[in-house]
Amino acid sequence: MLYYLSLPFLSILLIALQSTIADVIFSDRLVFELSLIVIIYAGFHLDLIKGVILASVLGFVLDCFGGSVPGLFTFIYIVIFLCSFFISDWLDTEKIYVIAFFSFLCAFLKEIILILFYYLAFKIDLLMNTYFIIFVQALIIGLFAPLFFYMMSRAEVFFYGKKV
Amino acid sequence: MFFLRKYKTIIFIAALLVVALSMIFYNLKYGTDKSFLRKIVLETIAPVQKALSFSIASVKDDWSRYIFLVGIVDENKNLKKEIEELKAVLISYQESYQEAQRLRKLLSLSDDYKYQFISARVIGREQAALSRVILINKGSSDGLKTGMPVVAPPGLIGRLVDVSWHVSRVLLFIDENSNIDAIVQRNRTQGIISGAGSRGLIFKYISKTQDVKEGDVIVSAGMGGVFPKGMLIGQVIHVDKQDASLFLKINVAPFADFSKLEEILILSSDETKI
Repeated sequence: MLYYLSLPFLSILLIALQSTIADVIFSDRLVFELSLIVIIYAGFHLDLIKGVILASVLGFVLDCFGGSVPGLFTFIYIVIFLCSFFISDWLDTEKIYVIAFFSFLCAFLKEIILILFYYLAFKIDLLMNTYFIIFVQALIIGLFAPLFFYMMSRAEVFFYGKKV
Repeated sequence: MFFLRKYKTIIFIAALLVVALSMIFYNLKYGTDKSFLRKIVLETIAPVQKALSFSIASVKDDWSRYIFLVGIVDENKNLKKEIEELKAVLISYQESYQEAQRLRKLLSLSDDYKYQFISARVIGREQAALSRVILINKGSSDGLKTGMPVVAPPGLIGRLVDVSWHVSRVLLFIDENSNIDAIVQRNRTQGIISGAGSRGLIFKYISKTQDVKEGDVIVSAGMGGVFPKGMLIGQVIHVDKQDASLFLKINVAPFADFSKLEEILILSSDETKI
């Protein structure tokens, strides 16, 4: 129960934190989507219901904070969580290169869905202006994800005495 | 009943996806959602974002104050020289301004509307790479309304798109969804300024016969009553006469540095003519 009660507040804190990090490190030119790594981590380690709720809440908070079309991030985050969850049965999710490559792929997929959506809904072709930024952002997420996974596994050992 | 129990997880996930999709279609059809829940989330994020930004800004300030002092003497000398030059320019401008005022009186021209400025602080920036939105610490309780123009010296930067009680979202000009009427200050050539994300702005629908040069200043046209006329927007940096197109391709660099926005002003119109 504590998990579900604290989820909205922790989500808000995470979104505010990732926004501040992007502002300080990248001067707002790039987005550091820590929330996406959390969703992938949840897909690999949490059960289906807990993970889907986490993805919905995080997506909704992100929609409220910055999304131009509310509901879009909620939908994308749920889809990415489900992909991570079902694919984790076939992948060795402990391997660094698997985590890095899969995170890169998810980040890339997310941006492609966004671009497709903008094109279909508003007839705005964003790919021309943003293809380099999208690649760099996905790369940053791919590189940071293994570090995040490592830190989380250390935290699990610290709090529970073993990996959850 | 058995079916519901057996597939409850799948039904729950499908329901969440349907809710998300419904939100998307609803907002596409009826415009951005301004629901109570959304306002609550914005109001909750604002203080957290403010606290984080304040702590980071303090560290950044200290860093720039003590570490980047190298070369400050030379910079100071150059700036003093620049101030002297600008003083001379300012005096000539003041003369021109007074002359313009006299001429305006003679021609009985006046501004269309009175504007009041409401100052606000930037407390956050959006997280979607494809849109350019900032979060400010004023809302409807301070008299803000959706659509009000937002200014950061020396010119316009955007407009309010979402107003909560104590927090609002500003859509910046550089957002791909932003379009405003604008004119070239030098020869009053009229066109549309569209956001182009990290590439700045694009001045659209200017025919090849029009005279637009690099360095020309673009100001707001004042049409539609949303933005006041003559406010600075940007400067032309590149003009491309494409063979296949009827129009010029004009790139404009905005005057405001959107990555360094800290304080902004909102133009509040009382809708009374002078």
